[in-house]
Amino acid sequence: MIASRFWDFAGAFAHPVTAVLVGGAVAVIVAASLVIFVLARARKVGPALEKELWLRTFSWALIVPAIVVPVLIGPAWAILAVGALGLLCYQEYARATGLFREPAVSVAVVAGILFLVFAALDHWYGFFVALFPLGVVVIAIASIPQDRPEHYIQRTALGVFAFLLFGVGLGHLGFIANDPLYRPVILMIVFAVAVSDVSAFTTGKLIGGPKLLPATSPNKTISGSLGALAAATVFVSLTAGAIYGDALALWQRALLGLLIGACAQLGDLMLSSIKRDLHIKDMGAVIPGHGGVLDRFNSLLLVSPAVFHYVHYLIGFGEAQPIRLITGS
Amino acid sequence: MEDWRFKPAADLGLTPAQRLRSLQREAGLPGAIGQALWWNAMRLYAAAVHRVRVEGREHLPAEPPFVLVANHASHLDTIVLMTSLTRAQSRRAFPLAAGDTFFDAGLSAAFAAGALNALPVWRSRTRRQEIDALRARLADDRCIFILFPEGTRTRSGEMGAFKPGLGALVAGSEIPVVPAYLDGCWRALPPQRKLPRPLPIAVRFGPALRFADRANDKDGWHAVAAASEAAVRTLGGLAPRGPAPPAAS
Repeated sequence: MIASRFWDFAGAFAHPVTAVLVGGAVAVIVAASLVIFVLARARKVGPALEKELWLRTFSWALIVPAIVVPVLIGPAWAILAVGALGLLCYQEYARATGLFREPAVSVAVVAGILFLVFAALDHWYGFFVALFPLGVVVIAIASIPQDRPEHYIQRTALGVFAFLLFGVGLGHLGFIANDPLYRPVILMIVFAVAVSDVSAFTTGKLIGGPKLLPATSPNKTISGSLGALAAATVFVSLTAGAIYGDALALWQRALLGLLIGACAQLGDLMLSSIKRDLHIKDMGAVIPGHGGVLDRFNSLLLVSPAVFHYVHYLIGFGEAQPIRLITGS
Repeated sequence: MEDWRFKPAADLGLTPAQRLRSLQREAGLPGAIGQALWWNAMRLYAAAVHRVRVEGREHLPAEPPFVLVANHASHLDTIVLMTSLTRAQSRRAFPLAAGDTFFDAGLSAAFAAGALNALPVWRSRTRRQEIDALRARLADDRCIFILFPEGTRTRSGEMGAFKPGLGALVAGSEIPVVPAYLDGCWRALPPQRKLPRPLPIAVRFGPALRFADRANDKDGWHAVAAASEAAVRTLGGLAPRGPAPPAAS
């Protein structure tokens, strides 16, 4: 039982939607490379832009397998990969806010994220949910013994915010891996976010018009935002239909798409707000052409819990699956 | 309500490779864990294998910042000095390590940054702005710098002359320089050997020197270096160095 949670190659492409989504992602990267190559050959783009485009495509060619491969291999790897993503996001956030200079709070946040990963691996929803308030309790008390009350609220609030975003929020994406349909569902969520991002960029560039929230993010337009909502709605209506069939009515699937499109953009705007408040441009420089890990994955922070509870309410996740795989006897 | 004060990491926005070599590097939780593992292992090693004896610990200032300078005979030197500090002190301590030896290759740089908490000094091509960055960081972040002003390990066993770069870090400031003499490192691990001999090592700290009245210029730097070298020689019971031999033409 445990072993099949790690190694389930037979199940990798068992669902046709998984195969279509993975094939589609590979095709998009290959097509993008060809377009850049042709444009560069025809001297339609300058060398600087060409280099920038290659850098971004190359980064995508690393990001896509980093997401897809763990999801394909087995649910345990998907949960561990989401946990690792949460830790990387926390590291960038802590360095950007200065919270990394408070080791007691940092250790509490990291421990909270690791316990959430364990609860997801164990498929123990009760513990998973219990960790939300308990994690807050531990972070709140972490720095009290230092007898250093100045800036207590700031470091505690920064820690709680981080735990709720990178542990609890992202953790819901990992918990989905306890469902037999987790491969197409997780890939649908991640790719819907990508579709939303790309559509916001392209419709914004094509149509232009008034800015959305210029003080927060000067490049986003209202037209781009609506384009992203439309694209996410169409993509999710089709994909969720192929995954769930009649279990979700068309309006319910469209609403799921709207939910993902809205939360993805709000996650983006949330990170923009954080960066503006800190007066920094990027959260890091780990991914060439993208900035930090958070700059790329910010949208998933808000999308994951929203999608989880929407689908959980309408259909359920992992309902008939064995629970407490590690702690149960 | 007053604004919260945020202080992002000084090395934010650098790529991972740049961070390893940055003078502004600030270790987060991963670095702190790596350094705690390494230096606690080294405390055991120094006590068990070299029975390190520490004299004059009372000369170490209670509060950073300060600069620790010593004679340089082996790769054990940094280990002996670092493990002679209290744990609280060693968490604030940065060994200044030769960039061309420790920070060229990626793996070696990762070790020097992640485990040793070392900062790179590029011996032959140190730029003024790098010295200024180190000087500013020493004061602003209240660091301890561990420095071997000879610039390289002695190849003969004789202590060499101190280079003036030390002076550029402290001349004209209140930051104390603590001289230390390392006894036994040469016999335990001379540069020609690969593995250390399990011989005893002693370290003697001397009274802190202050150079607030020295000008932060070439003459001041040389004076700081000469005074620090004399203090280390005295601790080691060595004769003062005579006038420099005439430069070969």
